[in-house]
Amino acid sequence: MNRSAAEILREYGPFPGADDVAGVTFDGRQVWFASGDRLNAFDPESGTLQRTIDVAAHAGTAFDGRHLYQIAEDRIQKIEPATGRVISTIPAPGGGGDSGLAWAEGTLWVGQYRDRKIHQIDPETGAILRTIESSRFVTGVTWVDGELWHGTWEGGESDVRRIDPRTGKVLEQLDMPAGMGVSGLESDGGDRLYCGGEKSGKVRAVRRPGAQSRRRPEAPGD
Amino acid sequence: MDSLITAAARALAAGDPLGALKRVALRDDAPALALRGIAMAQLGDLARGKALVRSAARAFGPKEAVAHARCIVAEAEIALAARDLGWPAKTLDAARATLEAHGDRANAAHARYLEVRRLLLVGRLDEAEQRLAELDPAPFPPALSAAHELVVAGIAMRRLHTQTARDALARAGRAAREARIPALAAEVESASLLLDTPAARLIAHGAERPLRLEEVEALLASKVLVVDACRHAVREPHLVISLATRPVLFALARTLGEAWPGDVARDTLIARAFGGKSADESHRARLRVEIGRLRTLLRPLARVSATQRGFALAPRGVGEVMVLARPVEEPHAAVLAFLTDGESWSSSALALALGASQRTVQRALDALGAAGKVQSFGRGRARRWMTPPVPGFTTTLLLPAPWPGD
Repeated sequence: MNRSAAEILREYGPFPGADDVAGVTFDGRQVWFASGDRLNAFDPESGTLQRTIDVAAHAGTAFDGRHLYQIAEDRIQKIEPATGRVISTIPAPGGGGDSGLAWAEGTLWVGQYRDRKIHQIDPETGAILRTIESSRFVTGVTWVDGELWHGTWEGGESDVRRIDPRTGKVLEQLDMPAGMGVSGLESDGGDRLYCGGEKSGKVRAVRRPGAQSRRRPEAPGD
Repeated sequence: MDSLITAAARALAAGDPLGALKRVALRDDAPALALRGIAMAQLGDLARGKALVRSAARAFGPKEAVAHARCIVAEAEIALAARDLGWPAKTLDAARATLEAHGDRANAAHARYLEVRRLLLVGRLDEAEQRLAELDPAPFPPALSAAHELVVAGIAMRRLHTQTARDALARAGRAAREARIPALAAEVESASLLLDTPAARLIAHGAERPLRLEEVEALLASKVLVVDACRHAVREPHLVISLATRPVLFALARTLGEAWPGDVARDTLIARAFGGKSADESHRARLRVEIGRLRTLLRPLARVSATQRGFALAPRGVGEVMVLARPVEEPHAAVLAFLTDGESWSSSALALALGASQRTVQRALDALGAAGKVQSFGRGRARRWMTPPVPGFTTTLLLPAPWPGD
C-alpha cells in the first residue's frame, strides 16, 4: 500500500447558507455539493456559486451524465438538474445509515457510514448487488479510471483511500491533515479529488496520485 | 455522519426534537443514541435523556474521543438541569481537557460554564468567580455568551453588585436574541425580573416599604446603621457585627432598631427576645444581662442606653438607624439568615452556629424546603443546604452536538 499525506490543491467556500457539506459530485462543468436542505453548484475554475436546488440533501451525491442522485434520510432521490424536480426515489441500502454515493457503469455505489461498508446497488430498484467491507467508517465514494476511492473518518482522523473493489484491500491512502474531515468525495476524472469538508463548509481539491500522466476525461462519471 | 443522523441533527438544530426522534427512534448506534438523548432532554425527560447520552458515550468509546467527550458534557448539563449536583466534576473536567486538546474550543468552554454554574449552584462563589475569570466570552457563539453573562449576573446578584448584574443581563439579553433561542431569552427575562422585584423590606421611623436589590445595595453603602434581619447583623458600610449565632441579642437589637429614635419598654423587649412570656423578676434580670452583652458587642457602632421605661439605641458615627427585613417574615428566620450568604451549609454546621440541636435545625430546614425557600443537594452526611439559586444556571439545555466532524 502507498501511504502519503493528502496534497490539498485548492479550497472552495464556505458558501453562504451552506455551512455543512455532505455529498459532492461533478457534472463535467460544475461541482455539486449537498448542504442539508439544498444542492449547490459552483464553478471549479472561478470558485463562484452558480446555482442551487432546494431539495433534502443529507448525505451522498452522484451524477450519471444526465441526472443527479441525492441521499436524503433513508432514500435516494433522482433529480433532474434543469428543473430540480425529484423524478423518482429508491430506498437507500443502509436504511438511513448511508453516507457517500457514486455512479459507475450503470450502477450506484453507496457508503454505509458506521457499518464500514460499500454497497453496489441497482439504480432502478435499490436492490443490493454486492457489498465490500472497509476497515474504517465510510464517508464519500467515487469511481475514476476503474479505481474505487472512498473517504474515511474515524477516531478524529480522516483519509482518502483507493481500495480493491473485489477484496476491499487498501491500495493507496492519502492522510488528511489533523482535524480535517472528508464527508463527500468525487473525482473530476483527472488529477483532482473533490472532498466535502463537513462542518467547515468547504470543498477541498486533493491531488489524485498517478493521475497526472493520464488524459483528461471526455465524459464525466465514467 | 450519515444521512438520517444529518437529517435528525438538522431537525434538532431547528428546534424540532420530535422530528429528530422520528428519524432515529429505531437506531441504537452511538450518534443515534446521543441524538435521542438530547431530544428527550429537550422534551423534558431528563432521566431518559441522561441514560441515553450515557449509553451514547459508552458506544462511542475512547477511540472516538471528541464525540465521547461531548456526550460527557451533555450528560453533565442534563445532570445540572436535573439538579443532580453529585455528578462527578472530575469527569467533566477530563472531557473539557479532551475537547481543548482536539481544538473544540466552543464545547470546551461550554464544559467550563457547566462547572462554573455548578459551583454557583452549590454556593462556592469564590471558586466560581475564579473559573469564570479564565474565560473570555468574546469569541464564543451567542448562546455561550448569553450563558457567560448569566453566570456573571448570578455572581453579582449574590454579591449585591446590582449594576454589574444589570449590565451583564443586558448583554445576556442581546446574545440570547442573537442566538434565537426563545428559552434562553426567557431565562434572561426572568433573571432581569429578579432585579426589579422587592428583595427586602425597609423598616424606619415606624413605617415600612419594599426595597429592590439595588436599593438594598445603596442602603448598605450609605451612612445608616442597618439592623439587618436578612443576615442577622448590625452594620455600617465598613463594619459588620454578626449576631447570627446570637438570636436573643439580635431580637433585642432589631426591636430597638425598629423603635429608633424612640426607646422600648422592658416588657416589650422581654416578650420579643424571650418568646412572649409575661415578664417576671427573673426575666428582668436576664434582660439586664443580655442588654449588657449586646452593649459590649455593639460598642463600635452604637450605644445601648437605659431610659426611664427601658432601653434605646443611639448610633455613634452615622445618622440614622433602619431595619432591613426579608420581604415576607417567616419562621426559622435565624436559619435563613445563615443561608442568605449564598454559601452552602450542612445541617450540623448550622446547628453548631445557631447553638440549636440538630433536630431543631433539621425541622426548620424541612419546613423551609417544603416552602421552596431553601434547597438541598447531596445525600446523607454530604447533604448541603442553601437558598434557591439566582440566575446563572439556566435550565435551557445548550447541549453540544456529540457526533464527530470538524
